[in-house]
Amino acid sequence: MSTRVRIGMLRLTDSAPVVVAQARNLFHALDLLPTLSIEPSWANIADKLTYGLLDAAVMLPPLTLASTLGLRGQAVKLIVPMGLSQGGNTIVLGGDAIKESAGLPPGARLLAWLAGQTGRPRIAVVHRFSTHNLLLRYWLSLTGVDPDRDIETVVVPPEQVVPALASGQIAGFCAGAPWGVTAELAGAGSVLLGTSDIWPFHPEKCLAVRQDWATENPEALTRLLRALMRAQAICDQPDAADSVVATLSDVEGLALPPEAVRSALPGGSSHEQIHFHGAGAAFPAPPHAIWFLRQMRRWGWLAEETNIAATARAVYRPDLFSLAARMEDLFIPPGSARNIAIPEELGTGPTTEFGAFDF
Amino acid sequence: MLHRSRRGALLAPDDPIIKPILVVRILLADDDAARAGALTKVLSEDPSLTILRPRPGELLADAVAALSPDVVLVDMERPDRDALDGIRVVASNAPGPIVLFVDRDDPAFMEEAISAGVSSYNVLGVPPPDVKPILRAAAAMFRHHQIARSELRQAEGRLREREVVDRAKAILIKLRRMAEPDAYRWLRTKAMATGRRIPDVAQEIVTAEGGGAKESLKAREEGAP
Repeated sequence: MSTRVRIGMLRLTDSAPVVVAQARNLFHALDLLPTLSIEPSWANIADKLTYGLLDAAVMLPPLTLASTLGLRGQAVKLIVPMGLSQGGNTIVLGGDAIKESAGLPPGARLLAWLAGQTGRPRIAVVHRFSTHNLLLRYWLSLTGVDPDRDIETVVVPPEQVVPALASGQIAGFCAGAPWGVTAELAGAGSVLLGTSDIWPFHPEKCLAVRQDWATENPEALTRLLRALMRAQAICDQPDAADSVVATLSDVEGLALPPEAVRSALPGGSSHEQIHFHGAGAAFPAPPHAIWFLRQMRRWGWLAEETNIAATARAVYRPDLFSLAARMEDLFIPPGSARNIAIPEELGTGPTTEFGAFDF
Repeated sequence: MLHRSRRGALLAPDDPIIKPILVVRILLADDDAARAGALTKVLSEDPSLTILRPRPGELLADAVAALSPDVVLVDMERPDRDALDGIRVVASNAPGPIVLFVDRDDPAFMEEAISAGVSSYNVLGVPPPDVKPILRAAAAMFRHHQIARSELRQAEGRLREREVVDRAKAILIKLRRMAEPDAYRWLRTKAMATGRRIPDVAQEIVTAEGGGAKESLKAREEGAP
């Protein structure tokens, strides 16, 4: 009998692995009966996972960790058995001043732009506990800007950032595809840099699963991961882009704007692109969780007693990934064992494993 | 410091002990005008509650800063609910720390509110007001509207089905020169014989006729005999 699984997602390009798996019957082929639920906010995803109205979701890694730690409501045991995508976000600043500094390094452009602002400019991110917010704050600090004192961070839904920038409600934003390109086309702002410039191939969306669902359905979980791995391989082929765009822009589904979606897919025209496939994208590396948690600690968001390594080990599950990846003949990176020792003292920046970048 | 939620403190005239009634300021963020109006009416029956609404297009965080509510009730269909999520940890940007209301002892109640589509946040700084009855009233109202909407959808579906059956009957009357009662009996017999519903059989007739009409038109255009 097929196993039912309720999967939540937002209307975003990087929800592609789930909708492509559905459109191509990849779930069905592995005896899964999914119900896909398109949610209007990350808070909805987190709440529905918490109270068992969803079993799994396309999630932001920091929000998954924050939900597990009870930083936004009732604590809920979630696991991350695989990553879903890498990269795809852009930092955009509004106004004319930023256009004049084109060609200069992004850090210099930012400082020149800040000098021309009155008061603390408002920069929008999509959620407090988003990859966007943590990468933005990390890069601002590298550039010598205090993200708590020199700017004001507000949360604006991705679909509203371009009108908010055009109307002056915000001065800039860090959001996923396609909104950076959309803002430039609308003349509302200029893309300063992509988040892949800050951390190349950074983990973006992950699959978050309720731990109790995973425990009760271990075989179905493996099948779910395998179906998504197959979909990820399709999403990463430039040749399949036409069909992936068609799936993502289906009016009965995510109904995303086709041309903007295409630009961020592999083989597209956008500077900042999303990657879906390969061990780098799918492997739920505990050091990634450690980086996110260390950033959260850096900004004073974690309770003192929170043990970062233990949290990373409990939530990120490379062992479950490896089980499924082996069946799909995928490369399994070293360090997939559940009991791998994770050093607590990784640096605050992306480690040399991911490349260190200066601006 | 005298807190803002106490600035509208009233004295209850009937109460022999004369204890102050604390006014709770509720920001109701719901774009469904009918539902918001109905909920405002219900909540306003309690004189200790003041209901506030955000301006159209106003960012939720701006509305919270401008109106200083004690409680924020949010329609979960609003994408800008994320503006309040986890804001507690970045208190410098908020008028006061904002915390999602959670009844840890009553997960069933929380699930009911969430599946009804409403969530509640407390703006802290004072002992939080008793939110549960407020959220319960909101959840009941949201549930009521949810049911009403689904009944409306069902009624619309039934109406559409009747339309399809009427069109199928018209086709049968025209093509097979049947009388109306015969056309209906024909549909019913066919449905029973094939184990389907009458509207499904009718849909098949309408679709086939649509396709057939195009086919014969195409044949004429191509000069077929």
